[in-house]
Amino acid sequence: MDFPILSVLVLLPFAAAVIVGLLPSRRKELYLPVGIALSFLPLAASIWLFAVFKTGEGAFQFVEKTTWYAPWGVSWHLGVDGISLLMLVLTTILVPISLAASTTISKRPKQFVVFNLLLEGGLLGVFLSLDLFMFFVFFEVILVPMYFIIGVWGSDRRIYAAIKFFIFTAFGSALMLAGIIAMALMYGRQTGQISFDYLDMLNLQMSYQTELWLFAAFALAFAIKVPMFPLHTWLPDAHVEAPTAGSVMLAGVLLKMGTYGLLRFNLMLFPRATVDAVPILAVLAVIGIVYGAAVAIVQPDLKKLVAYSSVSHLGFIVLGIFALTSQGLQGGVVQMINHGLSTGALFLLVGMIYERRHTKKIADFGGLANVMPLYAGFFLFTALASIGLPGLNGFIGEFLVLIGSFVTLKWFAIVAASGVVLAAVYLLWAYERVFTGPVHNPANEKLLDLNAREITMLGVLAAFMLLLGLYPKIALDRIAPSTELVLDRIEATTTYEVPYPGRIADIVGVSAHE
Amino acid sequence: MSDIVNVSYLAVGPEIILTLGAVAVLLVDVFRKPSPRVHAWIAGFTLALAGVVAGFQWTAEPSVSFSGMISIDRFGTLATFIILGVAALGLATAWGMVERLGRRGAESIVLVFMAAAGFQLMATSQNLMMIFLGLEIASLSLYVLAGISRERVQADEAALKYFLLGSFASAVFVYGVALTFAGTGHLSILDLRQFFATYVVLRPGVTLAAMAMLIIGLAFKVSAAPFHVWAPDAYQGSPAGIVGFMAAAAKVGAFAALARILIAGFPFYQDVWSDGLALLAAISITVGMIMAIAQTDLRRMLAYSSVAHAGFILTALLGGPGGLAAVWFYLAVYTVQLIGAFAVVSSVAGPMGAQSPLSDYTGLADRSPFLAGALALFMVAMSGVPLTSGFVAKFAAFASAWAAGYEWLVILAVLASVAGFFFYLRVIVLMYMQEPAVAEAPGAAPARFQAVGAVRWVLLIAIAVTLLFGIVPGPLLDLVRNALPL
Repeated sequence: MDFPILSVLVLLPFAAAVIVGLLPSRRKELYLPVGIALSFLPLAASIWLFAVFKTGEGAFQFVEKTTWYAPWGVSWHLGVDGISLLMLVLTTILVPISLAASTTISKRPKQFVVFNLLLEGGLLGVFLSLDLFMFFVFFEVILVPMYFIIGVWGSDRRIYAAIKFFIFTAFGSALMLAGIIAMALMYGRQTGQISFDYLDMLNLQMSYQTELWLFAAFALAFAIKVPMFPLHTWLPDAHVEAPTAGSVMLAGVLLKMGTYGLLRFNLMLFPRATVDAVPILAVLAVIGIVYGAAVAIVQPDLKKLVAYSSVSHLGFIVLGIFALTSQGLQGGVVQMINHGLSTGALFLLVGMIYERRHTKKIADFGGLANVMPLYAGFFLFTALASIGLPGLNGFIGEFLVLIGSFVTLKWFAIVAASGVVLAAVYLLWAYERVFTGPVHNPANEKLLDLNAREITMLGVLAAFMLLLGLYPKIALDRIAPSTELVLDRIEATTTYEVPYPGRIADIVGVSAHE
Repeated sequence: MSDIVNVSYLAVGPEIILTLGAVAVLLVDVFRKPSPRVHAWIAGFTLALAGVVAGFQWTAEPSVSFSGMISIDRFGTLATFIILGVAALGLATAWGMVERLGRRGAESIVLVFMAAAGFQLMATSQNLMMIFLGLEIASLSLYVLAGISRERVQADEAALKYFLLGSFASAVFVYGVALTFAGTGHLSILDLRQFFATYVVLRPGVTLAAMAMLIIGLAFKVSAAPFHVWAPDAYQGSPAGIVGFMAAAAKVGAFAALARILIAGFPFYQDVWSDGLALLAAISITVGMIMAIAQTDLRRMLAYSSVAHAGFILTALLGGPGGLAAVWFYLAVYTVQLIGAFAVVSSVAGPMGAQSPLSDYTGLADRSPFLAGALALFMVAMSGVPLTSGFVAKFAAFASAWAAGYEWLVILAVLASVAGFFFYLRVIVLMYMQEPAVAEAPGAAPARFQAVGAVRWVLLIAIAVTLLFGIVPGPLLDLVRNALPL
């Protein structure tokens, strides 16, 4: 591929941020529209990428490699495979939407748009980098715009939440940095040339002991990001205090950096440690599923409810990944997208009602379906998608995760299935309390239903939920070859064998990536 | 080689020019009583000329002259470049102070030049006595600079503390020089290396004691813990305009001398001194980070953070000759961040001001967006966030120490960096996320601060350098890889 589409994709948001930054400060009304308009460029690029991506190929496509600093063996190495492709599309869809949801931001609007665009650039860099140094750069630099978005434009306890978010995630990645340095130097000792290249790291020889330590360093960084129980305590604070756009990006994409990292780095680079760590991570994932759901049930605050539901849903993704079966991995990746769409939409919905009523307390509402029928409809649709109603996207992901993990982690899958039931409890119960019955609070009688802008935003997300629910093949065709490669790698480097029927290859009879 | 008396004026060219420039400033001041603008022209011309001569040094063949006293090598020349750059930025930051000092303004220019010349001598000398001479020239100039606004009690206190503890450090260093001579009979660094390569020292006690004292003496100057106690008071009490130069130049000169003595003079004891430096680094990083969290004054916070940064630079030095590039990169970019941060401090506190309570910075983003943005960037860079030069510097330092086998120190350092986010971010919280407290006196609007004149350019340069070498560090890294001592 001659045209450096991936570099363009990563650099477009940064360029957009500069353009918005240079807008004259007396034209305040321009910042948001220009920012939204510019954020359509990466969206167009990622959709084009999705269209021309070769399905049935698991390896990286559109690979670009340019030396960044040769003596350190660092290069600007980008590539996209089935796992990252959908993350790119998700990111680029959510950015214009979350910007469009920020019309009420009046404080320093220019910086707000700039930070959102920088965030997008960093996220795209994370999902595209095939160099551990570059990956870390993007992984870490994302903290700064998110820190500002929470800290400047958040609600009352925003400063506490912003600092907690920053320190927690920085703590995790600090040890990963040490791990990355160790790997690069180890590679240098083995081959004579230091390298941070992801593909080189796949050839790294290391003792089992070293592999365990490195696995732990990477897993800690990603487990905090996911976040996995018991490292999740930053999440409710950050999600609740962040402005709507921040919550959408945080839940929609930032958390996926953790699961993406586990899949891309832990499974691929440390397969032996992965196989042995499955029980630990599966236990934590299942605890997260049940605990997150149980806590969500009792939340009096709608936004907090959605935040805790993320802990539960992310547990499903981790369980699917560490099931180490075709279905589990695919389900995990699909669920990353699903969660981004449905939780993103839920945070948008919470934001919309908060803009109207300046409260997120469930007890303050009741009977809203009478005054805001469209809003209620979208809420119910999204809640059902999130619960996993067949025909909508959540079903595909959870179903794949559950059958995939049932093969290898039977009892975990059984306990995890209760998370689906609990999801129905917290979301439908919340729906009941907010929307059904008569309007008993006079403040709610005059609420306006959704306007065209809000309908567009939610409509786009709902359309994708429906599309993935009815025709998941467009996603799975692209994901499956890449996740099969992960399993190939694990089976080739360890004694682990995926039991029947955990591999597509076993069922279809051919290796899917050939 | 030291027997041949080889006189190369190129070797001391930048120092001669600085001295002549200092004399010119003094004479013009006495006879003409010119406006500060004339001084600015002379100072700028002097620094530029010294830089050009340093450029000639860079391309010259490495050599030793003045009976083995001074060398021309890229190690020393790079230090000269950095110190000249620091002096230029520092003087520009301090220009408000120079103008306000009236007659003493010229003196402050002279002192900056003499300090720069002294630190350059430290970096280029091949002889322990010459290094001591450079150290004293520079230190005495800095003591006076610390107290140059003599109307203020804090400045006097800062200067006195700095002087007393600094002279103590110098004494320790010169004791180390004497013990080195007692143990080996040599003062020249090249002869020392030759000596250790030729003879086996059966009872290395004196030599080791000498090495320890040399390290301690210089550790004072770079403000590495536990020899850092002067730094917070000196940073806080000295005129805001000049602190950046004082802190940055001292770090460059002293680290250059330390690196040259240990790597060129005592390479056969590397496993001994690197353990010592690792301990020093660990203490500095821990003490610096923890103490910085507790500070309520931005300058004291920067002082403790500079203690931690001294620890990070020591971490880089553990790699021996291979770690020198990391040391240089760190020094080059950190000094710029430091001067940039103090340029903001002096814009807020006034060029002569002492003390910078953090509360002055509350809500600064709304009042002075440029200053707040600049300070936020320097804080982010010092804390080591990627896409700033601070990350590349830290990364290089950690890689250097890890390659040398100091894994434990790297892990300590990365964790301490996370602790560092606490106080660096707190400044950003104050500036961007909190509203200024309601003024006590009704109607008194919080002051708006502006970066005036040259300070604006200092900030723009510092911002550019910090971002540029964070995104494209390759050229600078390539440059500093060549800067090895003879």
